[in-house]
Amino acid sequence: MSPNTVDNGTLIPFSGETNNDSLAIYPLHHTLTRPVSRLAISWSRGNSLRVSLFAEPSQTSDAGDGAKVIEVKLGGGDPEIDDADWRRIAYGSVAPFALLQSRRSAISNMSKSPSTYQLDWWEHVLQYSKEITSLLAGPKLGPSPIIDDPNEIVKKNEEPTCLKAAWELMEIFYVDKQSQAWLPERLVDWLADYDSLFTSTQETIHGKLVDFQNDLVNIQVIEDDPRYWEVMSSALSVGWLDIVVKMLRLHGSYQLDQLSNRELENGLVEAVAVLISKMPRLRPESAAGNLGECFKSKPDFIKAWEKWRSQITKLDCSPFWIQCDNQQTRVGLRNLLQVMLGNTESLCTASCYWVELYISHFLYIRPFMIGVESMYNLAQKCIQLKPPTGTHRLTGLLIGILGENTEVVLAEISREFGPWMVAHAVELLTAGSEQAEILLYDERYNLGGISMVELHRLAYAQVLSSHALTWQIAPIYLTSCMKQGMGLLENLLYRQSVQHNNMLLKNIEICRLYELDHISSNIMKVAGVYHWKHGRKGAGVFWLQQSQDTNCLDRIAQQLFDSVGKSISDESFKQWEGLIELLGSESKPAGGLEFLHKYRDFKKSLQMVYSGKSTDAARQAVGSLILLMKNPSTPQRFWLPLLFDSLKLLNWKDSPLLSVSETNLLLNKLQEFSLARQRPHFTEPNLPPQALSSIRLALATNLGRAILDE
Amino acid sequence: MAKELLSLDNGTTCSSWNYSSTRLATGSTDATFQIFDFKDPPSSSSNSLRSSFKSKVHEGNIVKIVWFPPEYGDAVACVSADGIVSLLEEIVEDSQPLQWKVRKTLGSSASKVLDVQFGISSTRLKMVAAYSDGHMRVFELLDPLELTNWQLQAEFQNVIESVSSFGKALCLSASITLNPQKGGSQESCFLVGFNSNTPELNSSKVWEFDQAHQRWLPVAELSLPEDKGDQVYAVAWAPNIGRPYEIIAVATHKGIGIWQLGLNPDHNGRLPVDRVAVLSGHEGAVWQMEWDMSGMTLATTGNDGMVRLWQSNLNGVWHQQAAFEPTS
Repeated sequence: MSPNTVDNGTLIPFSGETNNDSLAIYPLHHTLTRPVSRLAISWSRGNSLRVSLFAEPSQTSDAGDGAKVIEVKLGGGDPEIDDADWRRIAYGSVAPFALLQSRRSAISNMSKSPSTYQLDWWEHVLQYSKEITSLLAGPKLGPSPIIDDPNEIVKKNEEPTCLKAAWELMEIFYVDKQSQAWLPERLVDWLADYDSLFTSTQETIHGKLVDFQNDLVNIQVIEDDPRYWEVMSSALSVGWLDIVVKMLRLHGSYQLDQLSNRELENGLVEAVAVLISKMPRLRPESAAGNLGECFKSKPDFIKAWEKWRSQITKLDCSPFWIQCDNQQTRVGLRNLLQVMLGNTESLCTASCYWVELYISHFLYIRPFMIGVESMYNLAQKCIQLKPPTGTHRLTGLLIGILGENTEVVLAEISREFGPWMVAHAVELLTAGSEQAEILLYDERYNLGGISMVELHRLAYAQVLSSHALTWQIAPIYLTSCMKQGMGLLENLLYRQSVQHNNMLLKNIEICRLYELDHISSNIMKVAGVYHWKHGRKGAGVFWLQQSQDTNCLDRIAQQLFDSVGKSISDESFKQWEGLIELLGSESKPAGGLEFLHKYRDFKKSLQMVYSGKSTDAARQAVGSLILLMKNPSTPQRFWLPLLFDSLKLLNWKDSPLLSVSETNLLLNKLQEFSLARQRPHFTEPNLPPQALSSIRLALATNLGRAILDE
Repeated sequence: MAKELLSLDNGTTCSSWNYSSTRLATGSTDATFQIFDFKDPPSSSSNSLRSSFKSKVHEGNIVKIVWFPPEYGDAVACVSADGIVSLLEEIVEDSQPLQWKVRKTLGSSASKVLDVQFGISSTRLKMVAAYSDGHMRVFELLDPLELTNWQLQAEFQNVIESVSSFGKALCLSASITLNPQKGGSQESCFLVGFNSNTPELNSSKVWEFDQAHQRWLPVAELSLPEDKGDQVYAVAWAPNIGRPYEIIAVATHKGIGIWQLGLNPDHNGRLPVDRVAVLSGHEGAVWQMEWDMSGMTLATTGNDGMVRLWQSNLNGVWHQQAAFEPTS
């Protein structure tokens, strides 16, 4: 781990206990040369905290950096697994999680009786657990060779991880009701898969085996090496029968040139090998090719077990031992028999640490053990016999499970494996017992009215939210939280940037999916204002309309009104025209939009008049003017500017463009306007002082000419 | 995991991230205001911050930068040590390129602005400012697209008994926090505490706008009777994602108080308050307190130069979860 990395495995949210003595202080590495005088902090999304470190200001100009900004991601999870793999697990666990949630709600909707719920439920959880397990599988270590290496004792198919080991341990104890009867055997298999993980904190049988295998090429006479016998008795003590038999067959007496003069010795070796391969096991079946005889029913097993034990005893008392002149072989083989006979001392010597001793008890001393309580007592006994030298996160979990303390288990997995594990493993815990279900689903005032299940899902969603590549799956977990999930989802969506269009669309899509209309409306408003202020008026109006922000749209319409009657350049007229187009006619609140549309038509034809002087265009403009002046939606304050704009039309050279009645209409409006001027709060339009009189004169002239024409 | 994002110039004194943590505004002793943006969309791996604007604002040392809510565009308030607040926004105007422009300034040497915060209520933007003479002023933005037009909505002192007024008050600092609730229909409320020579002003109080009488009323005081005169260093209102009560952190020299504020007022209109924890850890003053977006973790900085994180455990007991110590 680099010095710049905070050990994210140990910084955990929401542990059960409070202990100030164990407060973790993490270094925050920076490269400032001067002392830090001030800090500033800011939360980004989720668990990501940004810290600014400000150095004391320096008077010299080449003082170097004045401050550093550092991002700290908190409570990530398991340091054993890298980021990319975490993301793979995070994405892969979404589907099983979502399926289980939908099944839960389907079942609770369908049947009200809790008994049927209990009956079927664990099967769903088991399926879920299996899917997660397959996800946690480490990288495969290449295909196994076609030709078996006779000297290869330890085989490895995949790199084991503590995470998967912990998950399987919980599955064994809480979910898989079918194999409850042969739970000890499942633990034997579990240790066979994961014993190597314990090598990090103590000596293990797996470690011894690997060391021995590495030395194998250098050993001349294998049965003379005491380690050969030691390693075999160890492997036998934890039930790795295949390995022991394979190792026994490496015994020198099997070599063709020696067979004749070591016949008896070889017979003894083979007898032990046969006994080992015939060991009765209380389990449905073992993996293909594995040694041992499996029995599903307990009576059959007991019968076979007793017969097997009597065979061992018989061999142990056999007179052949005296005739065997190889002392190493004699002692070694008889020690193997002692292991099989369940001699506590032999088992204790053979195993390296308490979990191995514990497993050996299941195999050779108490193969019928049932009940977690007695298993717990046995574990305590084994810990006394082999006090642990260090603590391993898997043993902590195992003791928690055996102690039947849900809170301890939760605290262990939370501390050791992080938020992903807790959020997903809660399903296993609650499948195990009603008591755990009550504990975990009980809503607590101290937690703000939420249950522990919800709290842990929120915590996990926070972790997902911290990363740009995973925040999109946070909503799936948040929506499974009844009380506070939506609140956090709203905050998460609100904190997404609107700058990038595809992200904006994704946000809106998430809002639509979860019916968060008010949030999407807010996001669209933010986008609208952003674009408007950044000069993209069209995009601005579009998003403001999408968000139905009448307030801002009114203001924009108001700004458009403000340019009525002002002489504007062609360029800005085009923009103005485009905005009116965008605002559309359906946006009611702008009210005067109908007017704006008519005004645009009028302005357009007027422009044509100024450029082309054609009488047709002028007539069209007059038509627009009359429509505008007749329309009640045209604000009074624009009457004068409109008429002033039309002076050229009113004074048209060739012929009067307005009929008598039209001229009268305009004159009446002018009169009305003059009256309105007398009222208080009247705002004078921004026109030259002689505007009114020149309009009046033009209208009078036009009236005269129109009367003559008619 | 810790990662260095950016180095800043000599003399930089404050920084502030926007709502989406994609833009950083910084201020320095020589009144330089600078903006940094992430160059690429946040999903790309090699994302780095680039300076997109740099200019001098007003004069004097910028000590604090507060972002506007994003509904009002990209805009900030820069508070300078001499008590002047400049409101700046990033805008395209009259076919000029995109740039930050000063829209308004508040405060004077006689009446310095100590802190300013923004909140949205009834679809209006409100700006709450605390002044060195112990006064609070609440401004409303008249036009949502124009950050120049502000109307003074209210002016009052941070005291429960409104008859008393403290003319000679001298305040060193003030801290305002608004209820971070989303959705504009509700009237917003805010909390303010002072660090002054006038005990009555100091204790932090929750103010709520009373629609019926069109005035701000104190609805809660977050201080035990014996602590009322304590100078307040910092306050922070936690986001509420569904708790049946609000949580507010108040820092004084006695430590960081975690307060629960009930949602239902009693017959006097007061909200029930309960101090559920006093957290000690920072020796001396607390500089800043920030809640995460779930309102469950409080991050604080203080005189001891540490960053500390606080959480409540499953039994509701608040404790320090972790601490970070800058080391070179």
